[in-house]
Amino acid sequence: MTRAPARRRTELGLIFLVVILTGGLYALAGFGKAGDLPADMGPFLGIIFALLLVGHVAMRRLAPNADPILLPTAGLLNGIGYVFIARLSTHEARLQAVWTAVGMAAFVATLALVRRARDLERYRYTFAFLGIGLLLLPLVPGVGENINGARLWVHLGSLNFQPGEIAKLALAVFFSSALVERADLLSKATRRVGRFLVLDPRYLAPILAAWGLSLVIFLAENDLGSSFLFFALFIGLLWVSTGRTYYLGLGAGLFAIGSYLALNVIGHAQSRVQAWLNPWAHPSTSGYQIIQGEFAIAAGGLFGEGPGQSNASHIPEASTDLIFAVIADELGLMGAAAMLFAYLLMVGTGLRIAVRCERQFEKLLATGLSLILGVQTFVIVGGVTRLIPLTGVTLPFVSYGGSSLVANYILLAVLLRISHDTETPRPTDQIPELYGTGAASL
Amino acid sequence: MNRQIRLLGLGIMVLFVALFIQLNYLQIVHAKALEANPLNSRAVVQEYTAKRGDIVSADGITLAASVPTADQFKYLREYPTGALFEQVTGYFSFIYGSDGAERSYDKVLTGSQSPFKLPTSLSGLRNLLTNRDQSQSIILTVVDKLQTVAEQQLAGRTGTVVALNPQTGAILAMYSNPTFDPNLISGHDLTKVQANYKALTRIPGGVFAPGGYEQRWFPGSTFKVITASAVYDRQPALAAKTYPTLGALALPDTINRLHNFGGEVCGGQLPELFTVSCDTGFGQIGLDLGASALASEAGSFGFDQTPPIDLPFAVQSSFPSASSFTQDLPGLAYSAIGQQDVQATPLEMAMVAGAIADGGKMMTPHILDRVTNSQNQVVSTYQPKVWQQATSPATAAQMTTLMLSVVNSPQGTGVLARIPGVAVAAKTGTAQTGTGKIDAWFIAFAPAVDPTIAVAVLLPNQPSQDEYQGGTLSAPIAKAVIQAYLSSGAAPAHLAAAP
Repeated sequence: MTRAPARRRTELGLIFLVVILTGGLYALAGFGKAGDLPADMGPFLGIIFALLLVGHVAMRRLAPNADPILLPTAGLLNGIGYVFIARLSTHEARLQAVWTAVGMAAFVATLALVRRARDLERYRYTFAFLGIGLLLLPLVPGVGENINGARLWVHLGSLNFQPGEIAKLALAVFFSSALVERADLLSKATRRVGRFLVLDPRYLAPILAAWGLSLVIFLAENDLGSSFLFFALFIGLLWVSTGRTYYLGLGAGLFAIGSYLALNVIGHAQSRVQAWLNPWAHPSTSGYQIIQGEFAIAAGGLFGEGPGQSNASHIPEASTDLIFAVIADELGLMGAAAMLFAYLLMVGTGLRIAVRCERQFEKLLATGLSLILGVQTFVIVGGVTRLIPLTGVTLPFVSYGGSSLVANYILLAVLLRISHDTETPRPTDQIPELYGTGAASL
Repeated sequence: MNRQIRLLGLGIMVLFVALFIQLNYLQIVHAKALEANPLNSRAVVQEYTAKRGDIVSADGITLAASVPTADQFKYLREYPTGALFEQVTGYFSFIYGSDGAERSYDKVLTGSQSPFKLPTSLSGLRNLLTNRDQSQSIILTVVDKLQTVAEQQLAGRTGTVVALNPQTGAILAMYSNPTFDPNLISGHDLTKVQANYKALTRIPGGVFAPGGYEQRWFPGSTFKVITASAVYDRQPALAAKTYPTLGALALPDTINRLHNFGGEVCGGQLPELFTVSCDTGFGQIGLDLGASALASEAGSFGFDQTPPIDLPFAVQSSFPSASSFTQDLPGLAYSAIGQQDVQATPLEMAMVAGAIADGGKMMTPHILDRVTNSQNQVVSTYQPKVWQQATSPATAAQMTTLMLSVVNSPQGTGVLARIPGVAVAAKTGTAQTGTGKIDAWFIAFAPAVDPTIAVAVLLPNQPSQDEYQGGTLSAPIAKAVIQAYLSSGAAPAHLAAAP
């Protein structure tokens, strides 16, 4: 227990650093844009510090042994994102500030409600139905809404919400628990077909059904980025839980078939791929977004144009899909690479938590959540830099958008909860339970 | 499981390395090519969106200002005085570039001319970080009141008024018709701007070539100022020669004769010839002086040189080379009266009047008075410079006498320019354009002692009605401008006084 205060002290120190860094960036952006300190410099510093402090205090009370790096890193990305959103639109900045507070509340609530990560395992079917239900919600007439060709939105009154963001987490929980249960069965071929031993499809069926259904829903909603993310998550977890490399081959094959179908069936996908391969063919329509993003990134050079000093007004979706282009423009290769490092740090920390876990379910869940963070970042940054086709997913913690921010704070809380569980020495009176729960740790 | 998780971490790291490599490619390796891509308007927009200072008239009227906007161009350039100052301020358009002071003082207005210095103070550091308040304003020598008088006097007719301070070269007024409102092409609605531009190019007379310094006409009899100066400078004996009273001058190598305007008969000595603007007399003077004397006199008065004014695209006034007359002596006689191939801008003729006014010195013409920074502190002030010595002070004094008699003598052609209590020196010009129309000129300066204003007025393509239209049509305009300037108020002290 002596490690707990040390870890939390580290966290607090890092939080101070984050406040100084984001405060400095906010001041620079104000100078760059208007030639003066932002008028709300004081409130900005106060609020960002207060929010992180709330998270920190909650950590001290609810998960004192958890990793000290994740919360400050998320806060840093969130702060950088806010500075750039504020630099693009004061209206969106105000909303993002509210969403950040909601996200932090969700973070604390998750820590408080999920006292042990293993509890989640018991509700696997609840999470499965919750996930699929949330995914279906935008397709319900009168509730769902099409924005930019993708049907991802649900509006309740004046509030817009992307339920897919939360669904990802729910389904990650479901996959983890379902896969842990069947890991042995899935890793051994038990049924003979002709000369070959193959997997018994009975064991795979429910998982494949859930995966297929959610994939179909994603495709129906035209959310290609999330589709890919979801697919990668499923295959990744399957591989990690079974240790069978042929699942990666199976994944590659399924991905090829899926891509072929998507390209031939969904016009949206086709135009995205064409815009990726040759944006210059239609520079003012389908290629416009990618080309403007590339121009912005190129203008950044090594050190960037300086916060607030570029002309971001011709970049479409600058605060959401293309926010990384604005950041690369104003902070340059240095700033953009530093941001990639921050994500890598978070993903690495998440995977380290997974490695240290003793129980399979937490191990798999931590892997899945880290994978979501890493793959989502890759999908959007790769899309903006034209490494892969551009699909509209958010840059975690940075892009403007409430649902994504809240979902990511919940993800963070679950990861930290797992970390705390793992790092807490078990009281001796719980040892019998260890033997009671079966083969997991043996 | 842990092996797979570590491999997964490795895989994600590989993906991120790919992102990092792609960023390097875009931001370092391929950046120049992307920047140079014709579809990339960022550099152009950036240049266009740099904050520009104001352009202000000598009497404090804002002529051009940048108003912040919410669109990608950040600032809209507005010209509150509309067409009145277009040919001085020029325009600043995203599609069509810039002209006038907007062009010649572009780097001053954006402040990008200030050399890069490492910040040595907190405010210097602030400037480096913000890169925003470097813009500077320019205060011109051009006077709004005088410009307005010129516009009113022209009353919509095609024509030009140029007024300058002969002692400093400061342009006081430079207005000509046709002109246009620069707001039409400085707007941000680019489709509308293109339509406006198209309409402007259809206006006859060329609105994009300011009449004051980008167009040339035959100077006609106003050129006799230079011919007469050549007599005093190069062959003073001719000043005492009495020229025969003629209606038409017999010319060498031809049966054609040089006729006086409207069949008038005149003759006598130089002052008499000058006062009534006798073409036969001056034609003969040209022949007596010879080609090289007249050509070099024209050169010393600024012909065949680009006037060093701080405005873009100023054209040269032209006088044929001396050698071109060896086979064409009649041409020499016509050139001595400002016809044939002699062409001049109104700016040049105002500078000719200014040179006589200022003891033979031709000052460098300029529209800039001073530059101020965003804190309204004066950064630099224009220092008047002599461009060249057109003629000797003695000749200038002689010419002043001749030009005074044009206005004051009962036979003078410029009597309409008389101002009670002010000695006005002038010369009229009624150039034949060869199409039955005439260009009505009037150049003048005042007061004769210690002159503070020199003016050139041109009304081109007037119907040929009587013989002294330079005196009847253009002299009243010049008079109004001089009067407006000399009456208190229109002449800011620092511009009126010699430095």
